[in-house]
Amino acid sequence: MDSDPIWDDAHDTTGTEPIWKKSRRVREGQVEINAVLATGTATDPDVTSDETTTITVDGQSITLEPSSTVLDGVAEADTNESVPALCSYQKDDRIGPRSACRTCMVESDEYGLIPSCSFPAREGMDIQTDTPTASETRDVNLDLVLGGHNLLCTTCGKNGRCELQEVSIENEVEHPRYGVVHDNEELEPIDESSPFIQIDRNKCILCNRCVEACNDVQVAGVLRMEGQAGDMRIGFQNGAETMMGSTCISCGHCVTVCPTGALVEQNLVEAATLPVPGFTHSNSVGKTMGEEYTSRPRRMTPMYTEEHTEAEPKIDEQTDSIWQYSDNE
Amino acid sequence: MAEDGSIGEGPIIRVSTSGKNRIRGREVLHAAREPTASIPIVEVGPTGIRELEPLILATYQGETAFYPQCSLMRVRDLVVALDDGSLPTKGAMAVTEHDPDTATLPTPDEGTFALGHRRVLDRSGWVVPANTHDYVASEDFLAATAADRADEWLSTLQDVSLRGRGRGDGACDTPVVDAWSTVQTVRDERESEPVVVVNANEADPNAEMDRLLLESNPLAVLDAALAVARIIGATNLLVYLNENEDLARDRVNEAAAELTNKVGADIPIEAIAGPNEYKAGEMTMAIEALEGNHRLEARLRPPFPTEEGLYGRPTLIHTPRTLAQIRSLFANGGDTIGTGSDPGTRLVTVVGDIETPLTLELPTDETLSVVKQAVDLDGRPKAACVGGVFGGVTRSLDVPIHMNALTAANLGTNGVVELFGQNRCMLSVVGNRASFAEKENCGRCFPCRGGTQQLASMLRDIYDGAFDAEKIRELLGTMRRSSICQFGQDAQRPVATAMNEFESEFRAHAEGYCPNDVCIQT
Ligand code: SF4
Ligand code: SF4
Ligand code: SF4
Ligand code: FES
Repeated sequence: MDSDPIWDDAHDTTGTEPIWKKSRRVREGQVEINAVLATGTATDPDVTSDETTTITVDGQSITLEPSSTVLDGVAEADTNESVPALCSYQKDDRIGPRSACRTCMVESDEYGLIPSCSFPAREGMDIQTDTPTASETRDVNLDLVLGGHNLLCTTCGKNGRCELQEVSIENEVEHPRYGVVHDNEELEPIDESSPFIQIDRNKCILCNRCVEACNDVQVAGVLRMEGQAGDMRIGFQNGAETMMGSTCISCGHCVTVCPTGALVEQNLVEAATLPVPGFTHSNSVGKTMGEEYTSRPRRMTPMYTEEHTEAEPKIDEQTDSIWQYSDNE
Repeated sequence: MAEDGSIGEGPIIRVSTSGKNRIRGREVLHAAREPTASIPIVEVGPTGIRELEPLILATYQGETAFYPQCSLMRVRDLVVALDDGSLPTKGAMAVTEHDPDTATLPTPDEGTFALGHRRVLDRSGWVVPANTHDYVASEDFLAATAADRADEWLSTLQDVSLRGRGRGDGACDTPVVDAWSTVQTVRDERESEPVVVVNANEADPNAEMDRLLLESNPLAVLDAALAVARIIGATNLLVYLNENEDLARDRVNEAAAELTNKVGADIPIEAIAGPNEYKAGEMTMAIEALEGNHRLEARLRPPFPTEEGLYGRPTLIHTPRTLAQIRSLFANGGDTIGTGSDPGTRLVTVVGDIETPLTLELPTDETLSVVKQAVDLDGRPKAACVGGVFGGVTRSLDVPIHMNALTAANLGTNGVVELFGQNRCMLSVVGNRASFAEKENCGRCFPCRGGTQQLASMLRDIYDGAFDAEKIRELLGTMRRSSICQFGQDAQRPVATAMNEFESEFRAHAEGYCPNDVCIQT
């Protein structure tokens, strides 16, 4: 197969589709389907190594197979300092690295401070986890993650099985320097519309694992990233406001990969919370979306069959371009 | 009209405006065409000095008179006089003598035109944009000989070590030849087809440099781009524009069609407009937009776009500014000016507390203080922000404008110098930038999304008396060191530099007053 089938007709300008209308690139090993997956996330290059490499981490020499990142080496070594690498997902290579949290920064001799989760392992790299800059950067970034989080573990369905909680304990975070989100006014309503999955965006760390699980692994094309800057959140590709309005097939994969209490199985929502009478996770936030679910749950949301996506390219079709230009000459 | 271009020996009237003053320019153009006269009247691009627009250049027998902000009545009179065989000079800001058929703007020796050195702007405001006759009036298309001279040019580039210009360039501040050779290596190793992207989507309204080049001499940019594409063996050339810049877009489309006609259509040139958003100019977000994503965020790196870019192909991204330097280097047979470590010139748009922004071209060994001669500022400027929205704040303009000096002074290289008068409040200046960053980032990484939020809120807290310089500095360092893309890496710079230079002003706000009575009225 040609390495890049999209471009087979790149030389034939008459009657070909403009470059920006071609479908997105399909990564190796990824299922190729006809549906448009509009995940709203960037198509990252392959950030792993091409060949077997040997790197040094805190003085220990580690040999890594091809397709490795520096984090693979860090994980294998007995490091001088803990490297949270919060947003990375080491279990399934079709998920991540998203490289959003930047709590995996380490010092390298040649490239300076690098995000270990998404930096290709290169022969001879010398990595240190415990330089003052590396520790400070990881530390500040972890606090930045917590600064956008509703840290109310006692009512959270992931209490005791939450990666953010685990990492924070391990790194002895006591008072995150930027605080946490505790003001109810600032909280988003909890999406209670689905009988299977509860979404609490106030706990989401935007690690993108759910979006990848839903699109790249399940090929269900339900979840996406939407918005920019502070408004960025997980949303639905069909533009629905609630999970029940989405095309979810309730496979549960997104919940399995979610590192926080942002996605929780409905029947486990209260499993780990402290038994305070009348105090639940939903009323701790105070606002919910979606009706109380009364009829018998079905496997799919009613929207499932509808093929609809809201995701339009950023560049509109009216764009002037020279093939239009040369047409009328 | 002017199918043959404007370069020749006969009398001619040129009307020069930028996209910003186009409406006024068209009025003047129409007025000029009202009298029945046989002399050509052509519309040319901007010169970079916007306060003169619409600028009339009346040329007769090797003499050109400059009439700034020309009225409709005057232009009619000029046309009639010129048609009668005389060049009126009354009321002209300058009159210059030159070769009757010169292909470059005959600039006056005095005033703003005399500042700096117009090397890439040599034809801006003089040639009819996108007109190939004018373009080849004194030299041939680079693209026409690119294939034969590839080796020669590559070694020139190697010797000269020209650096990329502008935040959207794939080789920003680094030698362009390195980017070219990476693309060539990847092409050979993976047998893939390279792409050249001209990144002209600079949504910072103050950064006029790329727009100026595309509006005034689009062929120079596209010709260089096509030459580069041929040298590195690219199969596609994309020009990525800003959706709001209609004039630049029209001229690029026209120039692309002309260029294809003249030097061949082996590499299709497509002009595509992206969103008018600051972040959309970042090199990987440009690629995301070109690939048709509905939401823009930065891609991880390394590998950089030169290795894996548009649709996974090796992608060379240059701004019009870089391409103009490349053209000027090759057109001058490899000769260049400026410092050895960062040769050539830089385009600098001067904005801020002045009436009209203007763009100068300065050799890289000149210092920024030249800009003070170009503008009318009440007294000495208090400070300047150098390098665009996320540039660095400085009290001194005594900094040479090459990369090493700018970086050493913690200033930006993105070519905008914003001057601040004595009564500006520096906290509010950088506070506004922090909140711009807080709203406009792509949202992908925490040091930038969370960092700008916390930064903006810590700056707001100063007004409530809480100023913790150490805590702010710690955050700024993390943003700079660990953000994915240049947006977050640079977003901290205005605050970092302003805090160094004006810490007492920050403290004053914490104590409840604004030394300039700007944000807290006393
Ligand atoms: S449960 Fe729904 S949203 Fe989650 S991965 Fe499956 S289909 Fe996607
Ligand atoms: S919902 Fe969970 S998995 Fe999805 S982005 Fe948020 S934290 Fe990550
Ligand atoms: S630095 Fe800012 S703009 Fe760049 S990837 Fe991170 S969040 Fe996005
Ligand atoms: S683990 Fe590397 S950025 Fe989150």
